[in-house]
Amino acid sequence: MNGESLLSSFINTTIERWPMVLDSILSHLSISLMSLAIAVLIGIPLGIFITRHRKFASVIIKIASVFQTIPSVALLGFMIPFFGIGRKPAVIALTIYALLPILQNTYTGIVNCDEAAKEAGKGMGMTSFQVLYMIEIPLSLSIIMAGIRTATVMTIGVATLASLIGAGGLGDLIFRGIASVNPGLILTGAVPSAVLAVLFDSIFRFLERQLTPKGLRK
Amino acid sequence: MKLVKIKKFLLISIAFIFLISVTACGSNTANSEEKTIAVGGKEFTEQDIMVHLVSELIEAKTDLTVNRKPFLGGTNIVFTALQSGDLDISVDYTGTGLVSILDEEVVNNADEAYRIVKERYDEEFGITWLEPLGFNNTYAIVMRADMAEELGIEKISDLEEYAAEFSFAATQEFMERDDGYSGMKEAYGFEFKEAKGMDPGLLYTAINEKQVDVSVAFATDGRIPAFNLKILEDDKNYFPPYDAAILIRNDTLEKYPELEEILNSLAGLLTDEEMAKLNAKVDIEQQDSKEVARDWLVENGLID
Repeated sequence: MNGESLLSSFINTTIERWPMVLDSILSHLSISLMSLAIAVLIGIPLGIFITRHRKFASVIIKIASVFQTIPSVALLGFMIPFFGIGRKPAVIALTIYALLPILQNTYTGIVNCDEAAKEAGKGMGMTSFQVLYMIEIPLSLSIIMAGIRTATVMTIGVATLASLIGAGGLGDLIFRGIASVNPGLILTGAVPSAVLAVLFDSIFRFLERQLTPKGLRK
Repeated sequence: MKLVKIKKFLLISIAFIFLISVTACGSNTANSEEKTIAVGGKEFTEQDIMVHLVSELIEAKTDLTVNRKPFLGGTNIVFTALQSGDLDISVDYTGTGLVSILDEEVVNNADEAYRIVKERYDEEFGITWLEPLGFNNTYAIVMRADMAEELGIEKISDLEEYAAEFSFAATQEFMERDDGYSGMKEAYGFEFKEAKGMDPGLLYTAINEKQVDVSVAFATDGRIPAFNLKILEDDKNYFPPYDAAILIRNDTLEKYPELEEILNSLAGLLTDEEMAKLNAKVDIEQQDSKEVARDWLVENGLID
């Protein structure tokens, strides 16, 4: 198939199946964003916790890494007896996969904050909590956000596998395209997924700039 | 001082081992380049067994080296590899060839379907369909046997009454194919409350764990007896025949003509039940597919 007919079959398929494409994009987004939100809510506090209790740090990061290495089909298979099929097991699996970059970057970012700045804060009589949100988090924000952005791009990509467990999403289009020798259909699933990944990466980049204190902006 | 010596010794031995393994690999590939054929299969157990069965037979009967490539991917990927010459041999099913590759209408007569794919593959792709192996791995609609019995469901038509409250799961391939779910809805005139596309392996876990009520399966799958699933009778003859046969590239056959007779010695021997048993040995009893293939060949007197 040459490039032009591939492009036209992609466009035609997208138009023909627009209701299904839209539906897949929406469910893809909701699965990805839900998993990301949960991963952020777990990953950042846990990352902060292990900077305060360093003896747990390597164990917890290692556990997150081990989860990362489980092949997704295997992980999804383990979940069926406990969580059934559909959205729930997909979100749980994606959360597990998104955890490592967020956890790792939060930990690394905070640990590598300028000691002198922290000492100065303590010297001014800041409590541990004040040191955290007035010094450590602002100073490590770009690293933490980089972790979230990595997790975002990865999750939106990996969310195509949610289709394996009946959760729908853009993976449905991709796997159906592969199964039916239909490159146009594969692209109808793959292109929106790539666009979403880039789009959300930019959104988080923008957010990061807005959240960075003026004095630290580059 | 001593420690340094030991370290040096270790380092040298590691380098040595590395060197040996590199040269060993090198000579290996050099050897096998001459008389090697590649046998590939799709990403499920039956195909894995067939890859080993064909390979074991060829290796026992000829001096060819077989490069085994099981679990390559779906129909499309394996066919593309065969067409491009990355593979010499694969196993496929008449119905799949007809609908997925040749883009033809469904043919419900098994002989007619075989005749069409044999002729068209030879003309259009330079690929030969050898004689049918004997099993018909058609799609089957299954549900848990206890549930089917309780509700008195014997055939697919019986589902009509319950379809509005039943969930259905199938492979993505089945959801997309014209002779899959969309055709089935038309032929039987009902659709399920929800129909989900899933990974082929996870389907069986899902129905066994009562997460779906009705599922698609393959008629020769070992998990059907193992999970006590019931195949519902296809009373409208909706599913076309999917008779399995070995596919071989014509140029490979020209190069090694003896392969035709050797591979055709399998024809007709593998019935649905035989194949389901072999599948069960791998899927349920967790035996190695290569061993299962070998044992079957020995049992049937095809190799020593």
